[in-house]
Amino acid sequence: MIKLQNVSYVRLGTADLDGATKFATDYLGLEISHRLKDSVYLKSDQREHSLCYFHGSPADQTAAFEVSERSELEMAASELDRLGHHVRLGSAEEAELRYVRRFIAFEDPTGNKIELVWRPACSNRRYHGERDAGITGFSHIGLCTTDAARDETFWTKVCNARVSDRIGDAALLRIDEVHHTIALFPTDRAGIQHINHQVATGDDVMRSFNFLSERQVPMVFGPGRHPTSSARFLYFEGPDRMVFEYSSGVREIADELLYRERQFPFNPKGFCEWGAKPQIKEFRN
Amino acid sequence: MVELEQLRYVRLVADNLGSAADFAQRVLGLEPIDRNQELATFRSDFRDYTLAFVKGDCAVQSVGFEVRYPHDLDAALEGFRGLGLSAGRGSAEDCTLRKVKDMAWFIDFSGNRIELVVRPLNSGWRYFPSRDAGVRGLADVIMRSVDIEKDLSIWTGILGARVSDWAGEAAYLRFDDAHHRIVLFPAARPGILAVEHEVEDVNLLMRNSYALRDLQVAVVHGPGRRPASEQLFLTFAGPCDVLFSFVAEGAAVDAERHRPRQFPSGPLGLCNWGSECKIAEFSDAARDQNGQSITMRTGVSLT
Repeated sequence: MIKLQNVSYVRLGTADLDGATKFATDYLGLEISHRLKDSVYLKSDQREHSLCYFHGSPADQTAAFEVSERSELEMAASELDRLGHHVRLGSAEEAELRYVRRFIAFEDPTGNKIELVWRPACSNRRYHGERDAGITGFSHIGLCTTDAARDETFWTKVCNARVSDRIGDAALLRIDEVHHTIALFPTDRAGIQHINHQVATGDDVMRSFNFLSERQVPMVFGPGRHPTSSARFLYFEGPDRMVFEYSSGVREIADELLYRERQFPFNPKGFCEWGAKPQIKEFRN
Repeated sequence: MVELEQLRYVRLVADNLGSAADFAQRVLGLEPIDRNQELATFRSDFRDYTLAFVKGDCAVQSVGFEVRYPHDLDAALEGFRGLGLSAGRGSAEDCTLRKVKDMAWFIDFSGNRIELVVRPLNSGWRYFPSRDAGVRGLADVIMRSVDIEKDLSIWTGILGARVSDWAGEAAYLRFDDAHHRIVLFPAARPGILAVEHEVEDVNLLMRNSYALRDLQVAVVHGPGRRPASEQLFLTFAGPCDVLFSFVAEGAAVDAERHRPRQFPSGPLGLCNWGSECKIAEFSDAARDQNGQSITMRTGVSLT
């Protein structure tokens, strides 16, 4: 069993690094941690960075999860290898570029690029956003899946994720008390489906709705409230049509023994209890 | 000093009683109570009715407040006449129409008609809404004023209301434990600007914002949050040239310690979510007397 501790960062390729950086800072409200020649590192909380844009193909998307022991990297590598995944140990240079001590890279059954990292860097100063978006941190990702049942099994049996709820066949998975850190959405491709940052209050969600709407950022879902996690949300499109989400008030599941996952319908009512209708392909029939 | 006990009702003059009643029932989700050729009343809470649409010769737009005793009416009338306002006692017919035991009325300096009533009817039966809008009751009324200072002298001088806060020249007035029950907004003409009903919580407010979209009702301000009262609001167009709002949450006022605060005029002082505002009176307030737009602290010019 691979014990995922936390989601660490997302790496996204882009052909327009300056445009992506402008969006991430001026609109999304992240802070530039530092720049290299072909990449920009952005922070949203105490992590050294939680989003990295690099010059490359927009289809090149990676999500990283933290493990707590070095030995777990080796155990994970042999387990994944046994299951037929191609596993690669990151070079020292690659690890340095990720601000981690050591990592392995592999693909999940759908082909999503995943990294397991050991000792990712923490920042010595707190996050201060480029605008007052109220961000409290990078929180979860949506992953594409081409076979929901198969991938749910991978994340819950090979890894330590638990199903918190399902919307149709889309499983919302937790790896700690937070209702979900990974969400698997059935579709016809591999890649990151959306990137979530938590904001402090529902007011921040609404303020950003108006702020981003005025700047013609395409709103694709919300403002609304998820019946599953009880979070108030807003989804909008960023560079290369990546979907970003702000949410606030996500439910925590403290009692692992008593909690029972629930089934919600795969229609607008399963996604929003206020009546918002998603314009996101993976959230529609 | 006369003590106001409750905001009781709003009476609006409706040329088309049918469409006004349809709005109250279908959009606001209120419970229909009385209905005849010239009257349609609606319940929103424990009160027999809080919203009345009237037509015909004796139809007037007014806001009703409850006072406890008939002698309060006498004291109030004396005060109104002292200020030179036109005022009078309601006839038996007026009282029957409003389902109250006794009443007095006055016209403020702007031309708004206010009614004071004694022993208005409570329903005794619980409110059963037409639609699950989550309405908890009539919350407050926003009134236009052509002379805020003089109109305030009535509310604070005779009726015992207190200013909770200011947004530009607009004054939020309270007389019970709510942050405000009346708001006086500077305007070029008199009349009720908005009638506001409280809904349960933010979820009901937002659910209503999507429901209004489906009902094709024009939202003119919000959803947003008011800096002064911390109320969530959603304001939309209604019949009779009057706006309606759903409001929720809001800060409690500690009457002992609260002192009125000054907030900016215009949309910045009325919403801290940055929602779009299409209400002329709210936007015009951002201009000073010379017609110059005032640049706010944030550097946003409200032209």
